[in-house]
Amino acid sequence: MLFEDNDFDINMAFFIPDVNFNREVDILSPMEGFLRGNMFKDEYEPYKNLTYFKLKPSNEKEMELYKIMALSFAINDLNLYLDLHPDNKEVLDLFKKYVMEEEELCRKYVKKYGPLEVCEVTGNKFNWVDSPWPWDGFGGSMYV
Amino acid sequence: MFKYVKHTNYPIEIKKKDLKMAKYLITQFGGANGELGAAMRYFSQKFSMPDDYGKALLNDIATEELGHSEMIASMVHQLTKNATVKELEEAGLGSMFADHGKGIYPTDASGVPFTVSYFAVTGDPLADLMEDMAAEQKARATYENLINLTDDEDVIRILLFLRQREIVHYNRFKDLFLYYKKKGY
Repeated sequence: MLFEDNDFDINMAFFIPDVNFNREVDILSPMEGFLRGNMFKDEYEPYKNLTYFKLKPSNEKEMELYKIMALSFAINDLNLYLDLHPDNKEVLDLFKKYVMEEEELCRKYVKKYGPLEVCEVTGNKFNWVDSPWPWDGFGGSMYV
Repeated sequence: MFKYVKHTNYPIEIKKKDLKMAKYLITQFGGANGELGAAMRYFSQKFSMPDDYGKALLNDIATEELGHSEMIASMVHQLTKNATVKELEEAGLGSMFADHGKGIYPTDASGVPFTVSYFAVTGDPLADLMEDMAAEQKARATYENLINLTDDEDVIRILLFLRQREIVHYNRFKDLFLYYKKKGY
């Protein structure tokens, strides 16, 4: 048999009884999902003995941004799942919850540190232009 | 329409200069299995998806991959920060510097420039999704090769994150492929 030992047999595509749009899913917390790069516990596949690294924020601003990034990650990963399972109420409710939490954290962050999106500009100066930009990383920009 | 958000998908804080790694890593920006190719492949394929599941999934994964392109470019930028011309030359980046200075230019690890032939669009949803599943597997394998080429934790942690995203995307494409196969597209 050509496909005997294969995990995924393309021929089986004809015999799938139905795509289960509401199967049970085990969803991780935003931070754990974020660290792993995968919100779905059963789908997580580590590489060799390397699992994932803990984040080490160097200050309060970074810590607050990481929390926003974790929620933003969770929202994105649930988004992809919901694209194929738009009627899954449980996942949709979780999605909405994380969206609300992210908006709240962003509001606080923007007030303290400046805009994450251009519409959030505050004060008398167009502070959207202010460094650091996401690619600057450690020690700020190359030119400033 | 796209909106820019002023943070990456995952933190990128690389402290150590590593020009050799930058030379290899650029392939995930401008190589055949790289993020730019993935973003543009799904972005182009979304127009011929037959229903809302396909339109939404291809659109949303394309958007995420565009963010990943920025992540890889940011990593290369940080790995080459403050490098002298002599150091670039010694790391085999002399020709790259001659053509592009210290700009971030999409090529593969051998310096071959990005090409649109990486998009692979057929207009057939089954062929395109099978292509996408293969693309995610190839990107996963490339990330594993790259992980084996470095021992810098600042780099490995990001590569592990991006590798895991390939697994998630593969699973979503596979779900959609099986559904379309059954629907008879």
